[in-house]
Amino acid sequence: MNGHVKSMHFQRFMETATTLLSLLLVMAFDSSRTVAASRNQQCGDSVQKSLKLSRLLQKESVDLIKTYKASQGEMSELFCKVSVNNVPDPNISGLEPSEKIASIYTHLQEFFPHFEWVYKQQTDLQLPTSPLLSDLRRFTAGSRNLAYLIKPFYQSLFPNVPLPEGGPTTLPPPQNVFQQKVYGCVVLKTFKELLSNVSRELRSLKSQVCRRRTHTNTLF
Amino acid sequence: MVSAGEMLVLAGLVLAVAATRDPPGKPENVSCVAVQEKTTISRIFRCDWATVGRQTSDVPTKYTLNVVVIHIRNYSVSTEGTHTQVEFVDTYPHFMNLEIWVEAHNMLGKIESEHITQDANSFVKTNPPSDIKVISEKYFPTSPLMNWTQPIDKSYGKLKYEIRFCTIGSPNWTYVPKGDIATDIQSFRLQSLQPYTEYITQVRSQLGHWSDWSGTTMKTAEDRPTSKPDVWRIIAEVDGKNERRVQFISKDPVFANGRIITFDIKIQEQKNDNLQWDTILVNGSESSDGQRVITVLKDMLLADLRPVRLCVTANNSVGTSPMASLFISAKGHEDPPVKGLKVWSAEGKLWLQWTPPNGPDLSEYVVEWVSGDQTDWQRENKNTRLTAIKGNLEGFVRYTVSVYSIYSGRIGKPASKEAYLKEGAPLEGPVVRLNDKPGRNEAELGWVEIPLHRQRGFIVNYTINYTGGGETHEITVPSNTISYTLKSLSSNTKYDTWINASTVRGSAQSSTHSFTTLKYAPGEVESIVVGVCLGFMFVVLMTMLLCLYKKDVIKENLWPRIPNPGESTIGNWSPDYPLKAETPKENCLSGISVLDVDVCDGKSMFEEDKACLPLKKDKYLSEEHSSGIGGSSCMSSPRQSVSDSDEGSDMADTTASTVQYSSVVASNGYKGQTPNPHPQQAVFSRSESTQPLLDSEENPDMMIQESSRQSQHFKQENPAEIHLLEMDQQQQQQEEGVESLDFCPLDEESEQTKSSEGQSAASSYMSQREGYRPQ
Repeated sequence: MNGHVKSMHFQRFMETATTLLSLLLVMAFDSSRTVAASRNQQCGDSVQKSLKLSRLLQKESVDLIKTYKASQGEMSELFCKVSVNNVPDPNISGLEPSEKIASIYTHLQEFFPHFEWVYKQQTDLQLPTSPLLSDLRRFTAGSRNLAYLIKPFYQSLFPNVPLPEGGPTTLPPPQNVFQQKVYGCVVLKTFKELLSNVSRELRSLKSQVCRRRTHTNTLF
Repeated sequence: MVSAGEMLVLAGLVLAVAATRDPPGKPENVSCVAVQEKTTISRIFRCDWATVGRQTSDVPTKYTLNVVVIHIRNYSVSTEGTHTQVEFVDTYPHFMNLEIWVEAHNMLGKIESEHITQDANSFVKTNPPSDIKVISEKYFPTSPLMNWTQPIDKSYGKLKYEIRFCTIGSPNWTYVPKGDIATDIQSFRLQSLQPYTEYITQVRSQLGHWSDWSGTTMKTAEDRPTSKPDVWRIIAEVDGKNERRVQFISKDPVFANGRIITFDIKIQEQKNDNLQWDTILVNGSESSDGQRVITVLKDMLLADLRPVRLCVTANNSVGTSPMASLFISAKGHEDPPVKGLKVWSAEGKLWLQWTPPNGPDLSEYVVEWVSGDQTDWQRENKNTRLTAIKGNLEGFVRYTVSVYSIYSGRIGKPASKEAYLKEGAPLEGPVVRLNDKPGRNEAELGWVEIPLHRQRGFIVNYTINYTGGGETHEITVPSNTISYTLKSLSSNTKYDTWINASTVRGSAQSSTHSFTTLKYAPGEVESIVVGVCLGFMFVVLMTMLLCLYKKDVIKENLWPRIPNPGESTIGNWSPDYPLKAETPKENCLSGISVLDVDVCDGKSMFEEDKACLPLKKDKYLSEEHSSGIGGSSCMSSPRQSVSDSDEGSDMADTTASTVQYSSVVASNGYKGQTPNPHPQQAVFSRSESTQPLLDSEENPDMMIQESSRQSQHFKQENPAEIHLLEMDQQQQQQEEGVESLDFCPLDEESEQTKSSEGQSAASSYMSQREGYRPQ
C-alpha cells in the first residue's frame, strides 16, 4: 500500500471523525439547551413567583397602612412622617446577583421581629376583633412566604454560597402609646419601601440570573 | 397440637374472611378549591375526591388529606368521607407551590391518590365580575361595549375572562372566542349583535377555577332596516260586481332593526303610472309574543280584469328598508297552483306538504292561514316541499291553510285545505226544530249547523235520537245532512228527540225537542166528516126518494085520511051483502074509513040543515076491511067503505088499529032527513066515519041520554070528535027505525054480545074518553 492510499484512508477517517464529533457536539448542545431551558424555566418561575408575591405584598401593605392609620385615631396621618430609629433599612445592597438576592432575604428577615413587635403593641391598643390585627397577621405571614420563596431561589442559583441569615435585630425600647403608634406606622411604611425595592431588584435579577445561566450553558 | 387439617380449615376461613374484605381503593379525582372572601382569598382550603372499590362497614376506610406548602408547612386532615378541608395559617399561600394528595387506609392497607403539585393560585375561585354595564352606542348598534369590575385585585394574579350573550328567550348562547379576550381587562366590545334587540350578556373570571357567571340585559340601538317588509293581500269577492276588494297588509321587515314608524306605498295599476309615494302611519303597538305586527296598508276595489302592483318600503328612526313589491294578476290569469297539498297536525304543529307546480320563474312560496277575520302568513324558499306553520295557532279553531306560488312577485293560484291544529268535541249541539207540523206517522226534523267557532273540529256525522211510546231509536246521518224525516211513528204519541253532533274527538248533544204526532192524518177527519155527510146525505136522499115514491103509502100510514063526517054520505047497499057481519075481534077494529076531518074546519056538523055528507061509497071499496083507523084487518067480509080520500090510497095499511066506533043503525034517517015512510029493505047505512061507535048507536035507547051527557064531555076533549059524536047522535035519531048494524060482521055471538058490546063498547067508549082503546 502506497502513501497516497494511506493518506486517503486517513483523510476519510478524519472526515468521519469530524462528522461524528460535530454530531456529538450538536447533541450535547441540544441537551444542554434543554436542560438550560428547563433550568431557565425554573429560574424564571421562581423569580416570577417572588416578583408576584412582592407585588401582592406591596398592595397589601398599602391597604394595611390605611387600616393602621384608620385604627390609630386622630393625627394618624402624621405618624408615618415621623422618623424612628431602629427600623431596618429598606434598601437592597450588593452588586452581584447573589449579593442582591442575599440582601433581599436578609432585609426581609430583619423586619419580621418588628412586625411581631408592632402586632404585640397593637394587640394592647386595639380590640381583639379589630381588622388591623388580622391584617397584620396575614401581611406578616405573606412576608415570610416571600422570604421562603427567595431562599430556595438563591440556593438553586448559588448552591455553594450559603445564604446569610442576618444579624440580631434591635428592637426599640419601651415606648408610650404615641411612640408605639408612630413606630408601627414607620415599620409598615419602611417595609412597603423595601417591597418596592425587592420588586425592582427581582425584575432585574430575572434577566440577569436566568439568562446568564443559559448563556453559560451555551458556551459550554 | 393443631393438626394439618385444622390448619387448612383455619387458613380457608382466614382467606374467606379476607375475601369479603377489600383493601382501600385509590382515591381519584382529587379537586381542591379556595374561594374568595371579601377582597382576599379565604384560608379555608377544601378538597373533594371520589372513592373507588367496595366500602364495607366492617372495614371502614379512613381518608387523610395531605397539603404541603412547599418549603413552609404541612397540613393533614383525616376523614371517613370524601371531602374535607384544611385551614392555612394566617394567610392563603399565594404563589406558593402546594402538593396535595389523599391517603386512604383501612386495616387491610393504605393507598395514596395521585399527588397534585400546583401553584396555590390554581385552586382559587374568585367571585364573579361585578357592576356589569353594556352600553349600546347609536353609531355602533351592533357592537355594544361591556364593562365590569374585576372581582379581586390584579396583584393576586392576572384574571382571565369569558363572555357570552344570547337573545332573550333563546336557549343558545354565543361565546366570544377566548383568544379575543385579553387577560386582566375590565371592558370588552361585543360584535355582530342585531340592532334593536334585547340580549342577556354574561362574563366570568378565572384565577384558578372559573367563577360563576354574572351578567345583565341590554338592548342594542336601532339601525336602518336591512330587509324588505313582508307584504301580502286579502282578497274578497264583491257580490254582484265584477270587482274584488283588495286589502294590502304588511309585516315589519324581519331585520327591522328598530321600531317601524311608517310604511311608504306606491300602487301601480297602469304600466306607465308614475304615482307618488303615500305614507302610511303605523300603529305604535308592538307585539309582545315575538310575532310581528300586521299593518293594513291599503283597502281598494279592483276590477276583476285589472292587475295591480304594490311597492312598499318601511321606515324606522334611522332609515328606510329595501323595497318590496307585490303583483296581483287579473282574475283568471293567475299562475298555476301547487299540487297535492296535504295538511296534518303533528307534534303540536300544523304541517304542510306539496308538490311544486310546473310554472317557470317560481321564486318562493307563501303559506297563508286564515281563521275568521284573522290572517297570517309566512314565506318559504322555492325549494321547500315540507314545512310547518311557525305562527301561534290555537287548538279547536278551524284554519283555512293555503299555499301560494310566487312567480317573480306575481301571486299564483292558491291550493287550500281546512285543518285544525287540535280537534275536540263541539261545545254545543245543533238547534233542532220541526220543519213542518208533524203528521200522524212521520215528522220532518231539521237542525241548524253548529256555529263554526263552536264546532272545535270537523263534524263527521249527526246521530238523531228519538224516544216515544216506550221505545228509543237512533239514526246516524252524514255530516252534510240538515234535515231528516222520521217515519213509522205512532200516532197521537209524544216524542222527544235530540241530535248528537260528533267529531273525531267527541260529540255534543242538542237540547231535547218534543212533539206529538197527530191522532188523525191530515184530511182524515175531513174525509170522515165528508164521508159521513155524504152518507147522511145519501140516506136522506134515498129517504126522500123513498118518501117521494111511496108518499101515498106513507101518507096513508102516517096521516090516515079521516073522512069528514060532514062530507060523508050514507051509502046504501043491498042486503045481498050478508047482514051478519063478522064480529070484530077484540083486537080488530071495524073497518071504518078514515075521514079527513079538518079540526079547524069551520063547518059545523051540528047544524041540522047541514046535509049529510054524501057517502061516497063509490069512492073507495075495501074488500078486506074498512079503511081508516077503525079498519079491522080481521074482517073477512068485504064491505064497502067510503073514504073521503081522493087519492084512493090503499087503506089496508091503515086498518091495523081500527076500532069499531060506529055502527050503522038503520033509522029513519038522519036528523033532518025525511024518513022513508015505506019501510024498505033494511038499508044499512053507515057512516064512513072512523069514530068509534057510541053506546047510543049500539044501544040507541040507552045511549041517547048518555050521549047527550057525554057529548058535552066529548066536546071538551075533542071538538072534532064531539062533532062526530053529535053527528052520530043525529044519525041515531034519524035512523031509529033502522036496525043498528055493525060494520063488523055480525053473528050470533056478536048479537049476544051486542049488548055486552054495547056495554063494553060503552065501557070501551067510556074508556075511550081517555082515548082510543088500544088494539
